[in-house]
Amino acid sequence: MTSTTVESGADVSSETSAPAVPLAARTRGLRKVYGSTVAVDHVDLDIPEGAVVGMLGPNGSGKTTTIRMLLGLVRPTEGEVELLGRKMPDAAAHALPDVGALVEGPGFHPFLSGRDNLLRFAAAEPRLTSSGIPSAVDSALERVGLTVAARRRYKGYSLGMKQRLGLASALLVPRKMVVLDEPTNGLDPAGTREIRRIVAELHAAGVTVLVSSHLLAEVEATCTHVAVLQAGNVVAQGELTELLESGNAALLVRTPDAEQALEVLRENRIGARLTPDGVRADLTATEAPRVLQVLVGAGVAVHEATRARTGLEDLFARLTESTGEGSE
Amino acid sequence: MTAVLDAPAARTGHDTVPLTRLLAAELRWIFRRPRTLAVLGLLALIPVIIGIGLTLVDDNPSGGGGPDDGGGALLASAVNNAFVLPIAAVVMSLALLLPLASAMAGADAIAGETAHGTLRGWLIAPVGRGRLLAVKAFGVATVSVVSVLAMCVTGVVTGLIINGTDSLFTLSGTTLSLGGALARILLMAGWVVLQLWAVGAVALAISSWTEHPMLVVASVLAADIVFTILGFLTSLDWLHPFLLTKDWSMAPAEVLQDPMGTQMLGEGALRAACYIVIGLSLAYARLSTRDG
Repeated sequence: MTSTTVESGADVSSETSAPAVPLAARTRGLRKVYGSTVAVDHVDLDIPEGAVVGMLGPNGSGKTTTIRMLLGLVRPTEGEVELLGRKMPDAAAHALPDVGALVEGPGFHPFLSGRDNLLRFAAAEPRLTSSGIPSAVDSALERVGLTVAARRRYKGYSLGMKQRLGLASALLVPRKMVVLDEPTNGLDPAGTREIRRIVAELHAAGVTVLVSSHLLAEVEATCTHVAVLQAGNVVAQGELTELLESGNAALLVRTPDAEQALEVLRENRIGARLTPDGVRADLTATEAPRVLQVLVGAGVAVHEATRARTGLEDLFARLTESTGEGSE
Repeated sequence: MTAVLDAPAARTGHDTVPLTRLLAAELRWIFRRPRTLAVLGLLALIPVIIGIGLTLVDDNPSGGGGPDDGGGALLASAVNNAFVLPIAAVVMSLALLLPLASAMAGADAIAGETAHGTLRGWLIAPVGRGRLLAVKAFGVATVSVVSVLAMCVTGVVTGLIINGTDSLFTLSGTTLSLGGALARILLMAGWVVLQLWAVGAVALAISSWTEHPMLVVASVLAADIVFTILGFLTSLDWLHPFLLTKDWSMAPAEVLQDPMGTQMLGEGALRAACYIVIGLSLAYARLSTRDG
C-alpha cells in the first residue's frame, strides 16, 4: 500500500505490486451476505505494519462487519482474511493473542466493578500468566485513567467511562495490533484527545492500529493511512497525505491582480479559476514552479502561493458521491 | 517501529490459557451475580419452610396420602421424618423451581453474555468455541449441583433439628442410621442433579441459538410444563419414555424404600444422559458456527 489507489477496482489485488512494507492484516475479495443483504463486498484491505489506519465510512458501510471478519468473529461468505500472517478465522488461536480489540462498543457485566470485569477478560488472555493478571489489569486501568473508578460497579459508569474500560480491555497485553471500532463514541472532547494520545503512543511503540470512525476530523488527526468504505466496498485506501493530494492538485495564489493572473494562466493553457483573494491554478497538467514562473514573468504580483490541501471531508464527500453513480 | 513487529509470527508464549483459569473465572462470575445468590438462597429456604409448615400442622390426615401423587404423598410422609423431609423438598422443587435455576444459569451463560456483548470479549481473547462451551457447561452444572446440595443441607439440618436423629424412617417402616440416610439422600441428590444437567444442556442449546436470555428460560419452563401434561395423557403412552420429566415425582421416592428400588432411577438417569448428549451437541453445532 505504498502506492495510493483511489477508486480501486480489481487492480489493487494484483500480485504484481508486492508491498514494500509487510502487512499486519489483509483481506482479499471479502464478502459477507446476511440473508439477502450484502453487508460487505469485494473488500481488499491492506493494513501495513506499524501504520495507524483509519477506516472511514458512513453508518452501515460495512466497517464493523469487516472488523468482525478480520477478528474471526464472523466467517466470511467469500474471500480470505489474514491477520498477523495467520489465516482467519481458522488460525484465530495463534493470531488473536497479539491483537487487542474494542468492537461494537464496550461489553461488560453491570453487576461487576470495572476492575472485576477486566479481571474476567484478563483470565482469558493467553499472553498473561495467572500471577501477572492483577498488575496487568491495574496498569491498563491506569493507562485509560480509570484507576479511581476501578472498584465501582460498571452499572454506574458514564458512557465515557464505559468506553475507556473497553479500551483498557484492548490494552491488557502489549499487542502487535489494536483494533478500535468507534473508540470515541460518547466521549467528551477531553476523552477524545486522550484516545488520540493513546493511539499516538501505540503508534510510537510500533503497534499497528486500525481505527474505525465516522468522525473525519478524528481520523485526519491520528491516522497515517485511510481506507474509505462506502456501501460495503472499499472506495479508496492509501496513505493519508497522498490521498488528500491526489484528488485536487491545485495551487492557491494570493494576488491583487487576479483578473490578469487568470488571463495569463489561460493563455498558457493552465486551468484556473478565481478565488476571493486570488486564483486557483489546476496542477493536474503542470507543476507549481511553472505556474509561478508564468505569473511572475507576466508581472503579476504574487503575495503567497500554497498547495491546495483538501480536507478529508472534501475527499470523503467526493468519494462517496462518485460511487453513487459509478459502480453498482 | 519494528521492534515489536519483527518478532516471528510463531513466537514463544501460550496460545491458550489453562482451562482451570477459565473455569475459576466463570465460577467467580456466576457466584458474584446477585441473582444467582438470591435463587440459591430461596431454594435453600424451601426445606426450612416445609419443615416448619409441617410441624405447625398438628393433625395431619395421615390416611389421605395416596400413591398417585408423588409430591403430596411424600409431603405427608415427611411429617416427623428427618429422612424424608429433604427428599420431599427436592422432589417438589424439581417440578418447577430447580429446572428454573438451571434454565436461568443456561440462559445467562450464552444468550445473556451475547446480549451484554461480553461473549465477544472472550472470543477475541481468544477462547476457542469448544472450550467456551465446556466452560459454560461446567458453570451451569455447578449451579445445578449447588442448588440441590443447598436444599439437601438445609433439609437435613431442619429435619434433624425438628425431629431428632431417631426419626430416619424409610417408607417401608425400617429405621436408617444417620450415615445410611445421608448416603441415600446423596444418591437422590445425584440423580436430581443429573436431571438438572439435562435441563441445563437443553437450556445451553437454546441459549446458543438466541441472544434473549428470557426466551431461554421461557422455553425451558414451557417445555417442562408441556412434558408434564403430556405425561398425564395415557393415550400418548408411546411418547412417555422420551419425556425427560417422566417419573420425576416418583423416581426419587425409590430411595425411600427398603430395600431400595432402582428401576425408575436407572431409566431416568439414562434418559437424562441422552438429553445431555443431544443438548450439548446442538449447542456446540450452533456455537461453533455462530457469528460472534
